[in-house]
Amino acid sequence: MSSLRQILFLLGKDLRIELRKKESLISMAFFGALILVILNIAAGIGKQVDADTGAGILWVAIIFSAVLGLGRVFAREKENGCVAALLISPISPGEIFIAKALVNFSLMLLSQLVLVPVFYVLFGSHFNADPLALVPILLLLNLGFSTTGTLVSAISAGTRRNEVLLPILLFPLILPLTALAVKATAGALATRPFSERLEQLEPMLAFCLIFSAAGYLLFPFAIRED
Amino acid sequence: MMTKLAPSPFLSIRGLRKSYGSLEALRGINLDLAPGEFLCLFGPNGAGKSTLLKIIATLLRPSSGKIRILDDDLENNPQEYRARLGMVSHQSFVYQDLTLLENLEFYAALYGVKDPRQRSLELLEQVNLADHYEMLAGNLSRGMQQRLTIARALLNDPELLLLDEPYTGLDEHAARVLRGQLQWLHDQQRTIIMVTHNLRRGMEAATRMGILVRGKLVYLQQKENIDPASFEELYFQKLEAV
Repeated sequence: MSSLRQILFLLGKDLRIELRKKESLISMAFFGALILVILNIAAGIGKQVDADTGAGILWVAIIFSAVLGLGRVFAREKENGCVAALLISPISPGEIFIAKALVNFSLMLLSQLVLVPVFYVLFGSHFNADPLALVPILLLLNLGFSTTGTLVSAISAGTRRNEVLLPILLFPLILPLTALAVKATAGALATRPFSERLEQLEPMLAFCLIFSAAGYLLFPFAIRED
Repeated sequence: MMTKLAPSPFLSIRGLRKSYGSLEALRGINLDLAPGEFLCLFGPNGAGKSTLLKIIATLLRPSSGKIRILDDDLENNPQEYRARLGMVSHQSFVYQDLTLLENLEFYAALYGVKDPRQRSLELLEQVNLADHYEMLAGNLSRGMQQRLTIARALLNDPELLLLDEPYTGLDEHAARVLRGQLQWLHDQQRTIIMVTHNLRRGMEAATRMGILVRGKLVYLQQKENIDPASFEELYFQKLEAV
């Protein structure tokens, strides 16, 4: 049986449960939108914010809401010992890592389909009218966040204070990626040339590759009991 | 003169040790199991029963020692080794938010079963859950969940079945149903290891019995060589001796 098929079965199972319950998606989208509304009130309703501040606001909403979904993906596997059932099946821990990272990536992407339009409605009247400029930044951050987050959530899922430990471990790790994403987003919102944004996109890609490889290699140790 | 060679064991465990820091959970387990044997391991809480089962199931790494199923070595060929295992634990291993059929189909697909739907329906029929196939697993009673767990463990037609306290939380009726299913599995020549601290339940089913105390296998005997009336006394003697 090919690895790809096993990854797709696991991904399909998680997305089926998520689309049935919508627990993570609704909480992520609602929490992120709430952050945007609060920051809009704090900045002054109707007031224009500059591109740097706008980018920071967007990423605060995205990152904090994404943590909600991240914790849930592994909590579900821990219920009834399902993670043990996966570990004694022929699927390898590396394949479980890829499937879980893809689930987190998908959930982030789906919540961003809500959050980015809400951001544009609240803050974006004077920003770059082409939201597609944000796509490469969103994809790269989602990749780095979901791979790093999958590893960290596997570590924290085995602890009693999962919900506290997850952000404490995760945020310092993804800080460089988030800082690059904020800077690149500011460039996109201010319609700066793409070549300027490449200065952030290239290190973001390198970060994603390094953390994906590290996550894949370390995941078997994080998910096992011993 | 020709000497009769002993059949090679189905499961072979040699010098198995597991330590957590200074605590030794298993202290040199040696065990051979013939195909179709039903071994029941008894022991008090903390004896190392579940640790042993978890190591055989590849959920824990041993500190030292070797485990083999026929030619498949746990360390060198873990995926092939795992494909031959089934496990029933006191945890159900099922997803609450999937239906019974979806749960079984998912696991069957992971194991590369040829027609996952057909196999899942067959097993639901076998454990008398076919009428509930569209029900969410989270809505099942404990006894029904345990039957679903058994169906899940049998999806890949495992040669070795590991049972960790399978009677936990079951009422008398559900326990009786489980007992019947274990007998059926044994009749199908599956090799079974069950760990429990319930002497009565274990003795009903097993063909061989062992006592594990403080990480050591202090007693191992075929059932036909054991007097059921005095086994309880023997069990407590072994516990007190250690």
